[in-house]
Formats: sequence, C-alpha cells, structure tokens
Amino acid sequence: MAEGLGPALDRARCVVCVGPGGVGKTSTSAAIAMEGAARGRRTVVLTIDPARRLANALGMPSIGNVEREVDAAAFEAANLSPPEGRMTAMMLDIKQAWDDVVTRYHPDPAKRKKLLENRMYVAMSTALAGSQEYMAMEKLYQLASRKEDPLDLIVLDTPPSNHAVDFLEAPSRMLNALDNDATRWLLEPYTSRKRFSTKIFDAGSSFFLRTISRFTGAELLQELAELLAGFSGMFDGFKERAKAVSAILGADDTSFFVISTPGAAGAEAARQFSRRLAEHEIHVGAAVLNRATIDPFLGEAVPSPAALEAAVRAAGGTDDLARRLYDEAERARVVAAAHRESAASLVGDVPGPVLLVPQLGRDVHDLVGLHQLRNHLFRPGE
Amino acid sequence: MGPSIPTPDPVVVRALLARRVQVVAGKGGVGRTTVAASLAKRLARDGHKTLLLEVDAPDDAAHALGVAPAIDTPREVENNLWLCRLTPEGSMREYALLVLKFKALYNLVFENRLVKYLLRSIPALGEFTMLGKTWYHFEEKAEDGTPRYARIVMDAPATGHAITFLAVARTVAEVVPTGVMREFAEKMANMIESKDDACLHVVCLPEEMPVNEGLDVLRMGQERVRMAPGLGFVNRMLDKRFTDAERAVVDALDDPELGPFTRVAQLRVDREHWQTDLAERFAAASGLPTVVVPETVPSPTGWPAPEHVVAVIDAAAKSADGEASDG
Repeated sequence: MAEGLGPALDRARCVVCVGPGGVGKTSTSAAIAMEGAARGRRTVVLTIDPARRLANALGMPSIGNVEREVDAAAFEAANLSPPEGRMTAMMLDIKQAWDDVVTRYHPDPAKRKKLLENRMYVAMSTALAGSQEYMAMEKLYQLASRKEDPLDLIVLDTPPSNHAVDFLEAPSRMLNALDNDATRWLLEPYTSRKRFSTKIFDAGSSFFLRTISRFTGAELLQELAELLAGFSGMFDGFKERAKAVSAILGADDTSFFVISTPGAAGAEAARQFSRRLAEHEIHVGAAVLNRATIDPFLGEAVPSPAALEAAVRAAGGTDDLARRLYDEAERARVVAAAHRESAASLVGDVPGPVLLVPQLGRDVHDLVGLHQLRNHLFRPGE
Repeated sequence: MGPSIPTPDPVVVRALLARRVQVVAGKGGVGRTTVAASLAKRLARDGHKTLLLEVDAPDDAAHALGVAPAIDTPREVENNLWLCRLTPEGSMREYALLVLKFKALYNLVFENRLVKYLLRSIPALGEFTMLGKTWYHFEEKAEDGTPRYARIVMDAPATGHAITFLAVARTVAEVVPTGVMREFAEKMANMIESKDDACLHVVCLPEEMPVNEGLDVLRMGQERVRMAPGLGFVNRMLDKRFTDAERAVVDALDDPELGPFTRVAQLRVDREHWQTDLAERFAAASGLPTVVVPETVPSPTGWPAPEHVVAVIDAAAKSADGEASDG
C-alpha cells in the first residue's frame, strides 16, 4: 500500500470522487485538487454540496457558481508554498446553473423569458429528482469543453449516495421525467391547437387529465404544461450534452476514486461502488478509506506492562493510570488491525491502489488540514 | 463533557417535548435516526400515543428500534409507539384516494403508465404528498374524537434535503394559485410553522463539519421553513478517560519505547478537548437547550442502543424535584 494516488492523478484529466455520505469526500476532492495544482496543472474542484463544506475547508466564507481562486496569499497564510499551477474552487448553485443553461441554449428568446419566469420552473430546478446530478454534468461539460483558459484537471465531488450509479443514471432519469410519452400527451392540446394560451381543461379535455386535475388542481397541471412547453426545443441539446458527458466519464483520462471509511462496512461499500462502476465501464483509479486508526506500535513489539508501570510511577502516576494507558493503546491496536484487514480485502477488487488515510487531528477544516490529507494521499508512509 | 455547556432547563425541555410535531434534522451520519427513535420511545413511554415517521429512508428507524419495517402504514411496534416509513408513491396514492374517494377511479387513472410518468415530472410532488401524509396523521382522530397520535416524531432527511422537504408546503402554497392542492399546502405549512405545535430538533456530532451543518440547518429551518427551534443534541461525546493531571504525567514520559502509549493517550485527551470546544460552540451559537449524548458502544446490530439516548433525554427532562412528565 505504499503507492499513492500520484500515478492515477497524472493520468487523469478528470477525477470524480464518489462514495457514501460522511466519509470526507469533499475534503478528499479538495486535497486532490491541491496536489494537481502543486504539480503545475490548472485545476478546478467542483463541489455540488450545498452545505458549504468545501468553502469551510478552503477557508473561504462561501464558494459560488463561478470559479474562485485559492490565491497565493491563502497558501502563504497557512505557511504553505503556493502551487506551481492554479487551484480554483466552485460550488454548483443548482438554480443558477439551470438559468445559465436555459439562457445559453434556449433557441427561442420569447419562450426562454417565459420559462425563466414560470413559477414552477424555480421549484423544478431545485426539487426535481436528479436535477443536481444533471446540472453537475452540465457544469462538467462546460468546464471540460471550455476553449479559453482551458483546464488541465477537473476534480468533481459528488452528492452522497448509496449507489455509484445514482450519479451516472440520475441525468437520464431526470430528462426522462421532463420529456416522455406522458408529458408529450399533456402537451398535446397545445400542439394540436397551435395556440399556447388555450386552456387544456375544457369540456373536450381527456377524462384522465380531468381526474388528475382533481388531484393536483387544474392550475397546477396548466402550469406544468406551460413549463414543459417552455422546455420544448431544448431537449435535443440536453440529450446531446448528456451523451458528451457520458463520453467524458467513460474516457481513458477520467478516473473515479471511491472514497469510504475503513472497517468491514466501509470497505464493503467501497467494493460495491467499484463493482457498479466497472459494470458501467468506468475506470476506477483508486479507493481511499479515510479516518483510519493506525497501529500505535507500527507492527513493532509491544513493551511489557511492567516497563510502562515503572515509567508511569517514576513520572508520578499510579499503576491504575499505567493500566489505562496500556488498555488505550491495546484498543487502538485492535481497531488498527481491523482497519488494515478491511483495506487489504479490497486489494484486487478495486483496480489501483487502496489507501488507508489516518484520522487527522481535529477535522480537516482548513488548508493545513487539506495539505496533511494530501500528503497521506500522495505520499503515504512518509 | 464540557462544564460550560449549560444544562438545559427541564421545564423548557418538557415544554418542547409537549409539542405535537417534532422534527429531527442534522447532517448525514450524525445519529438523527437514533435520536428520533429515542425521542419517540421516551414520549410513548410517557403515555403519549406516538408516531415515528421516517421520510423515504431505508428503514433505518426500524433497524434502530430492532423491529420489522412498516412502510406507508403505521404499525404499533411497542406500547403507544407506531412506526411508519413514508414513500413518495405510497403517500401519493393515499392523497389521491383522499381526494378522489373512489378506489376504482384511482386504479383506473393513477395506475395508468402515462399518468405515473406525468406525476413523476411534477417537481416535489413526492415530498409534498409525504408532508401531506404527516399532516393527515396530525389531524387524524381516534373514535373518541381525540387525536389519533398525540405526538409525531419525524426523522427528517439530511441537511439540505430536510429544508427543501419541510419548505415544500409553503412553496406550493405560494406557487400554486388556487385549488385543492393549495388548500392542503396552506394547512400543512400552518402545522409546520406553528410555534405551539411544532419544533425542529438539531442533531450534530462534536466535529467541525457536523457542527457547521447543524447550525446551517437550524438557520435555514428558521429562515426558510419558519420553524420554531427545539432541542440541540450533541451526539457521541467521548467520555473523559484521563484527567489533566494524568495528561501531565503522560507528557512527562520520555522513554521513546513508550512513545506509542504517550501518543495514543495524548490523541485521546486532545480529541476530548476538541469535542468539548465544538460542543460548546454549537450550544452557544445555536442558542438551543443542548443535550449532550455520551458515546456508547454500539449494539450487536451496529446501531447504538436507543435506551441509552432515552435515558439521556429522561435525565434532561427531569427536575430536581423529580417532576418528569411533559403533560
């Protein structure tokens, strides 16, 4: 397990960090980006976590929808040398990202304006299942295909999920929810009568629609129809870009890093993620198990309790304290063994290195902490 | 545990436990489910018919309680304690039946493939109907006319999702012009925003990010959901294994052979100190009456024993004179 993430990073233009919630995905993404920048690459880390975690860790009050550079001064303030390359960070603001996409790609200016003003549009952009993942992909596409000020490395943090494929499949599920037989059927009254203002709930409207409208209220269905109509003309573009992003995700220079925790359950989660990704022909570059306990004796012989007792007594402590110190170390040794075993069990199941990253002091919440994390990821055992 | 976290006033704790709707929120992985299950157990034991609702989650509450899952239909899992996991599909079905009244009509329309698709494309409809079902149980009456459930404890989704979920009623009430949905939305929003009936408990761990997110969820809960604050829970607080004097002894050990013992003990003491700092910060910044839950050894199922947290809540609700009931 001496190999770090360096080789995998050097091969990748795009790194996607996936894993269950609460395993340090966001911090790990930021630490990887830091290393990329230190290796001279123009690097961006994109987080889709609305909870400001990355901003916290980078010492920024907030990160917005536009790239913001972690400047030399921030590194210097943390007593770190500024990177050879450049490190920027951004957070996906879902609503803003939708607005950008609609503004950029909508073919019809009048419809575009109407869409942006639709009251359900706002709710849809933030609440439709898969919307977040879809927009992360739109953003990834924008970043990857950017011609001016091109990027050398994109590190993508993903929302916590129980299945790696959630992230991969969410966009198609979302697009499918907006554009399918059912929505086209709802829109039929518009398209057949060629008059946008026509109310769809008149005497002639279908029994089905009338029944649903008893459930939702006719106005809601009306608004939904208007919303969907507003999107018409955009779906082909949505699909094209989704396809382009699929190609990026499956490309040789894209690497997925599975982030989890040590122990049997954490390792099993990592194994499942890795397996599902492989099924989708996605390259898994490494597995990272964060917050591991490290054997305090590093495999060396454990001194005898008598030696500890004597030393504690000499320092003015009781035998009881000596016993408790011994127990404490013993506990750590047992946990560390279990953690090592769980990591070893992944070797072979995960293509690439499996890294056990020790629990770092107080949580990783600043550049210094990220720097430490980065050293463990890229220079393990040093 | 930190002496400077003020012990919550038992009178205040009891007043909060008397609210009919208690929502438990916080970052993923901090122990929301354990706290929600324990609160529900405590309320049920106090004689209140209590419904523990889990929002579209993988039956964690059932695991925490060590009982079989109950999906979409509440089931009494112990005396006075009902469990129910809400799903968008199940809630939608119930809501549709409530509005349409006829099962045949429901089956005809809502089991239709196109209709299913269409409903899926309505943003937040799943959340809306799940909150609607919560409201339905809030209003539900027993045969004698008293509320079917005296307390509803909701194990909410993690941080941002919880806020979107709880805000959906007000959002719909503002977005949908008129009609049956808006009427429901108004009633649901009134329940959530009631200062007498509802409160938002926030759970965190004594770690940096969980504390920050706990504070975020509280702020958003107040600003965006207009929910009254409830209790704060700092979960899994390490007990103090070494005193400061002992730490000094450990620091004085200078035999390099014994270095591992020193480092392990120092790390432990340092962690205890950080945790105290963070717990104090959470209590001070949130302003919530904050209950500290000591770390416990998980049960064989991997879930911390709810009994442990029940005892902690019990202690927080108990006055010196032994008064413990919350009415």
